[in-house]
Amino acid sequence: MEALVVAGCVAVGAAAIRPRPAVSDGVPAPELGNTSWLNTDRALRLSELRGRVVLLNFWVFTCVNCTRTVPSLVDLDLRYRDAGLTVIGIHTPEFPPYAGEHDRGNLMRALARRGITYPNAQDNDRRTWNAYGIRYWPSFVLIDKQGRIRHTGYGEFHLNDRYYQEWDRRIRALLAE
Amino acid sequence: MRRASIILAAVLVSACDARPAPVTLRAGPPLRLEPGPGVRINARLKPALELEGGIVVRFDSPHLTPDSAYFTAPPTAEAPPAVHAGTLRVSVCPAGERICRSLTIAAAW
Repeated sequence: MEALVVAGCVAVGAAAIRPRPAVSDGVPAPELGNTSWLNTDRALRLSELRGRVVLLNFWVFTCVNCTRTVPSLVDLDLRYRDAGLTVIGIHTPEFPPYAGEHDRGNLMRALARRGITYPNAQDNDRRTWNAYGIRYWPSFVLIDKQGRIRHTGYGEFHLNDRYYQEWDRRIRALLAE
Repeated sequence: MRRASIILAAVLVSACDARPAPVTLRAGPPLRLEPGPGVRINARLKPALELEGGIVVRFDSPHLTPDSAYFTAPPTAEAPPAVHAGTLRVSVCPAGERICRSLTIAAAW
Protein backbone atom coordinates (compact mmCIF):
# COMPACT_ATOMS: atom_id res chain seq x y z
CA MET A 1 0.00 0.00 0.00
CA GLU A 2 1.34 3.32 -0.92
CA ALA A 3 1.55 5.69 1.90
CA LEU A 4 0.11 9.00 2.38
CA VAL A 5 0.83 12.22 3.20
CA VAL A 6 1.12 15.24 5.06
CA ALA A 7 -1.39 17.22 6.63
CA GLY A 8 0.13 20.53 6.81
CA CYS A 9 3.05 22.32 8.08
CA VAL A 10 3.53 24.03 11.32
CA ALA A 11 6.90 25.41 11.99
CA VAL A 12 8.05 25.90 15.49
CA GLY A 13 11.26 27.57 14.61
CA ALA A 14 10.70 27.97 10.97
CA ALA A 15 9.42 25.98 8.09
CA ALA A 16 10.79 28.21 5.43
CA ILE A 17 14.28 27.50 4.34
CA ARG A 18 15.73 30.95 4.17
CA PRO A 19 16.35 32.84 7.41
CA ARG A 20 14.44 36.04 8.04
CA PRO A 21 15.35 38.87 10.39
CA ALA A 22 13.82 39.00 13.82
CA VAL A 23 12.70 42.17 15.52
CA SER A 24 13.50 45.54 14.00
CA ASP A 25 16.51 47.52 15.03
CA GLY A 26 15.94 50.80 16.83
CA VAL A 27 12.76 49.89 18.70
CA PRO A 28 12.52 49.55 22.48
CA ALA A 29 13.50 46.05 23.55
CA PRO A 30 10.58 44.04 24.92
CA GLU A 31 10.88 43.46 28.65
CA LEU A 32 12.03 40.07 29.90
CA GLY A 33 9.21 38.31 31.71
CA ASN A 34 10.94 35.07 32.59
CA THR A 35 10.63 33.84 36.15
CA SER A 36 13.16 31.00 36.30
CA TRP A 37 16.77 32.14 36.19
CA LEU A 38 20.19 30.63 36.72
CA ASN A 39 23.53 32.27 37.49
CA THR A 40 21.74 35.16 39.18
CA ASP A 41 19.99 35.48 42.52
CA ARG A 42 16.97 37.25 41.07
CA ALA A 43 15.03 37.65 37.86
CA LEU A 44 16.62 40.22 35.58
CA ARG A 45 14.62 42.98 33.96
CA LEU A 46 15.89 45.21 31.16
CA SER A 47 14.41 48.22 32.92
CA GLU A 48 16.94 47.63 35.68
CA LEU A 49 19.82 47.35 33.23
CA ARG A 50 19.58 50.84 31.75
CA GLY A 51 23.06 52.23 31.37
CA ARG A 52 24.42 48.83 30.41
CA VAL A 53 24.71 47.23 26.99
CA VAL A 54 22.82 43.92 26.91
CA LEU A 55 23.46 41.00 24.60
CA LEU A 56 20.66 38.46 24.51
CA ASN A 57 21.57 35.02 23.26
CA PHE A 58 18.65 32.78 22.34
CA TRP A 59 19.93 29.23 22.58
CA VAL A 60 19.26 25.70 23.75
CA PHE A 61 21.81 23.16 24.93
CA THR A 62 20.73 20.58 22.36
CA CYS A 63 21.57 22.93 19.49
CA VAL A 64 25.04 22.28 18.18
CA ASN A 65 25.33 25.68 16.52
CA CYS A 66 24.47 27.22 19.87
CA THR A 67 26.96 25.31 21.97
CA ARG A 68 29.74 25.94 19.48
CA THR A 69 29.11 29.66 19.94
CA VAL A 70 29.31 29.52 23.74
CA PRO A 71 33.12 29.98 23.95
CA SER A 72 32.76 33.26 22.09
CA LEU A 73 30.01 34.45 24.40
CA VAL A 74 31.99 33.47 27.47
CA ASP A 75 34.90 35.41 26.05
CA LEU A 76 32.80 38.51 25.36
CA ASP A 77 31.36 38.33 28.87
CA LEU A 78 34.83 38.09 30.40
CA ARG A 79 36.19 40.93 28.31
CA TYR A 80 33.37 43.42 28.62
CA ARG A 81 31.34 42.68 31.75
CA ASP A 82 33.26 45.18 33.83
CA ALA A 83 33.05 47.71 31.00
CA GLY A 84 29.26 47.59 31.01
CA LEU A 85 28.14 44.56 29.01
CA THR A 86 25.56 42.13 30.36
CA VAL A 87 25.29 38.88 28.45
CA ILE A 88 22.01 37.05 29.07
CA GLY A 89 21.21 33.58 27.81
CA ILE A 90 17.58 33.02 26.91
CA HIS A 91 17.32 29.25 26.99
CA THR A 92 14.43 28.31 24.71
CA PRO A 93 13.62 24.62 24.18
CA GLU A 94 12.94 23.28 20.71
CA PHE A 95 10.89 20.25 21.71
CA PRO A 96 8.20 19.57 24.34
CA PRO A 97 9.28 18.64 27.89
CA TYR A 98 9.80 14.95 27.12
CA ALA A 99 13.09 15.90 25.44
CA GLY A 100 14.59 17.20 28.70
CA GLU A 101 15.32 20.74 27.53
CA HIS A 102 12.81 22.23 29.98
CA ASP A 103 14.51 20.66 32.97
CA ARG A 104 16.27 23.15 35.21
CA GLY A 105 18.79 20.57 36.38
CA ASN A 106 19.76 19.72 32.82
CA LEU A 107 20.27 23.38 32.03
CA MET A 108 22.27 23.87 35.20
CA ARG A 109 24.58 21.02 34.20
CA ALA A 110 24.92 22.40 30.68
CA LEU A 111 25.94 25.80 32.04
CA ALA A 112 28.53 24.25 34.33
CA ARG A 113 29.90 21.97 31.62
CA ARG A 114 30.42 24.88 29.27
CA GLY A 115 31.76 27.37 31.79
CA ILE A 116 28.83 29.75 31.42
CA THR A 117 28.66 32.15 34.35
CA TYR A 118 26.45 34.85 32.84
CA PRO A 119 22.73 34.84 33.73
CA ASN A 120 20.37 32.53 31.91
CA ALA A 121 16.59 32.60 31.82
CA GLN A 122 14.51 29.51 31.25
CA ASP A 123 12.19 30.51 28.42
CA ASN A 124 10.18 27.31 28.57
CA ASP A 125 6.96 28.98 27.51
CA ARG A 126 8.75 30.91 24.76
CA ARG A 127 7.45 34.23 26.00
CA THR A 128 10.70 36.04 25.30
CA TRP A 129 11.39 34.12 22.10
CA ASN A 130 7.96 35.16 20.82
CA ALA A 131 8.21 38.73 22.08
CA TYR A 132 11.37 39.20 20.02
CA GLY A 133 10.08 37.28 17.00
CA ILE A 134 12.99 34.86 17.08
CA ARG A 135 13.01 31.97 14.61
CA TYR A 136 16.41 30.31 14.77
CA TRP A 137 18.91 28.89 17.23
CA PRO A 138 21.20 30.62 18.01
CA SER A 139 19.97 34.21 17.67
CA PHE A 140 21.29 37.42 19.16
CA VAL A 141 19.84 40.78 20.10
CA LEU A 142 22.11 43.64 21.12
CA ILE A 143 20.46 46.35 23.23
CA ASP A 144 21.94 49.76 23.93
CA LYS A 145 22.18 51.64 27.22
CA GLN A 146 18.77 53.22 26.66
CA GLY A 147 17.08 49.86 26.19
CA ARG A 148 16.71 50.05 22.42
CA ILE A 149 17.40 47.20 20.06
CA ARG A 150 20.39 48.16 17.95
CA HIS A 151 21.44 44.92 16.26
CA THR A 152 19.87 41.54 15.67
CA GLY A 153 21.29 38.46 14.05
CA TYR A 154 21.59 34.73 14.12
CA GLY A 155 24.04 31.97 13.44
CA GLU A 156 26.98 30.20 14.98
CA PHE A 157 30.25 32.06 15.32
CA HIS A 158 33.68 31.27 16.70
CA LEU A 159 36.40 33.11 18.53
CA ASN A 160 37.90 35.70 16.24
CA ASP A 161 36.08 34.68 13.09
CA ARG A 162 34.49 37.45 11.04
CA TYR A 163 31.12 37.14 12.76
CA TYR A 164 32.74 37.32 16.17
CA GLN A 165 34.67 40.37 15.11
CA GLU A 166 31.47 42.00 13.90
CA TRP A 167 29.67 41.40 17.20
CA ASP A 168 32.75 42.55 19.08
CA ARG A 169 32.84 45.77 17.06
CA ARG A 170 29.14 46.41 17.68
CA ILE A 171 29.49 45.83 21.41
CA ARG A 172 32.48 48.17 21.66
CA ALA A 173 30.61 50.85 19.73
CA LEU A 174 27.61 50.70 22.06
CA LEU A 175 29.79 50.65 25.15
CA ALA A 176 31.46 53.81 23.88
CA GLU A 177 28.20 55.72 23.42
CA MET B 1 5.77 -5.97 -0.97
CA ARG B 2 5.89 -2.42 -2.03
CA ARG B 3 7.40 -0.18 0.45
CA ALA B 4 5.22 2.58 1.58
CA SER B 5 6.90 5.85 1.50
CA ILE B 6 6.78 9.50 1.19
CA ILE B 7 5.40 11.78 3.63
CA LEU B 8 6.08 15.29 4.15
CA ALA B 9 8.65 16.01 1.62
CA ALA B 10 6.89 16.75 -1.59
CA VAL B 11 3.65 17.90 -0.16
CA LEU B 12 5.30 19.92 2.52
CA VAL B 13 7.42 21.66 0.01
CA SER B 14 4.56 22.70 -2.16
CA ALA B 15 2.53 23.74 0.82
CA CYS B 16 5.14 25.76 2.63
CA ASP B 17 7.99 26.61 0.42
CA ALA B 18 9.19 26.07 -3.10
CA ARG B 19 12.54 24.72 -2.04
CA PRO B 20 13.60 21.11 -1.43
CA ALA B 21 12.11 19.36 1.59
CA PRO B 22 14.31 19.42 4.69
CA VAL B 23 13.41 15.83 5.54
CA THR B 24 11.48 12.90 4.14
CA LEU B 25 9.82 10.30 6.31
CA ARG B 26 9.73 6.87 4.76
CA ALA B 27 7.36 4.26 6.04
CA GLY B 28 8.80 0.98 7.19
CA PRO B 29 9.03 -0.73 9.40
CA PRO B 30 11.10 0.81 10.71
CA LEU B 31 10.17 4.39 9.93
CA ARG B 32 13.13 6.14 8.42
CA LEU B 33 13.91 9.84 8.39
CA GLU B 34 16.02 11.00 5.49
CA PRO B 35 17.56 14.48 5.32
CA GLY B 36 17.17 16.56 2.21
CA PRO B 37 20.17 17.88 0.27
CA GLY B 38 22.51 19.84 2.51
CA VAL B 39 20.41 19.17 5.59
CA ARG B 40 21.84 17.65 8.74
CA ILE B 41 19.58 16.12 11.35
CA ASN B 42 20.46 17.14 14.89
CA ALA B 43 21.46 14.03 16.82
CA ARG B 44 21.58 15.80 20.18
CA LEU B 45 17.85 16.30 19.96
CA LYS B 46 16.61 13.06 18.53
CA PRO B 47 13.65 13.45 16.19
CA ALA B 48 10.33 12.54 17.72
CA LEU B 49 7.07 11.19 16.43
CA GLU B 50 4.15 12.07 18.67
CA LEU B 51 1.31 9.58 18.41
CA GLU B 52 -2.22 9.38 19.77
CA GLY B 53 -2.52 8.73 23.45
CA GLY B 54 0.57 10.69 24.33
CA ILE B 55 2.96 8.09 22.95
CA VAL B 56 6.25 9.52 21.75
CA VAL B 57 8.62 7.53 19.58
CA ARG B 58 12.16 8.81 19.15
CA PHE B 59 14.32 8.27 16.08
CA ASP B 60 17.90 7.17 16.53
CA SER B 61 20.92 5.79 14.74
CA PRO B 62 24.34 4.67 15.97
CA HIS B 63 25.95 6.45 13.05
CA LEU B 64 26.99 9.93 14.10
CA THR B 65 29.55 12.55 13.22
CA PRO B 66 32.66 12.42 15.45
CA ASP B 67 31.32 15.20 17.63
CA SER B 68 27.97 13.38 17.98
CA ALA B 69 26.25 16.43 16.57
CA TYR B 70 24.54 14.98 13.50
CA PHE B 71 23.34 11.65 12.17
CA THR B 72 25.42 10.27 9.34
CA ALA B 73 22.81 7.64 8.49
CA PRO B 74 19.04 8.15 8.48
CA PRO B 75 17.69 7.61 11.99
CA THR B 76 14.91 5.07 12.37
CA ALA B 77 12.03 4.48 14.75
CA GLU B 78 9.50 1.74 15.40
CA ALA B 79 5.92 2.90 15.58
CA PRO B 80 3.15 0.58 16.82
CA PRO B 81 1.82 -1.33 13.78
CA ALA B 82 -1.72 -0.04 14.16
CA VAL B 83 -0.66 3.58 14.16
CA HIS B 84 -0.39 5.39 10.88
CA ALA B 85 -0.36 9.06 11.72
CA GLY B 86 1.37 11.40 14.08
CA THR B 87 3.23 14.62 14.50
CA LEU B 88 6.88 14.65 13.56
CA ARG B 89 9.31 16.95 15.28
CA VAL B 90 12.80 17.25 13.94
CA SER B 91 15.65 19.67 14.52
CA VAL B 92 17.59 20.31 11.35
CA CYS B 93 20.78 22.27 10.86
CA PRO B 94 21.28 23.04 7.17
CA ALA B 95 24.91 23.06 6.13
CA GLY B 96 26.25 26.55 5.65
CA GLU B 97 23.47 28.32 7.53
CA ARG B 98 25.05 28.27 11.02
CA ILE B 99 21.67 27.75 12.64
CA CYS B 100 19.30 25.03 13.75
CA ARG B 101 15.62 25.17 13.02
CA SER B 102 12.81 23.11 14.43
CA LEU B 103 10.15 21.59 12.24
CA THR B 104 6.81 20.29 13.39
CA ILE B 105 4.93 18.42 10.74
CA ALA B 106 1.72 16.40 10.68
CA ALA B 107 2.41 13.13 8.93
CA ALA B 108 0.60 9.98 7.89
CA TRP B 109 1.89 6.74 6.40
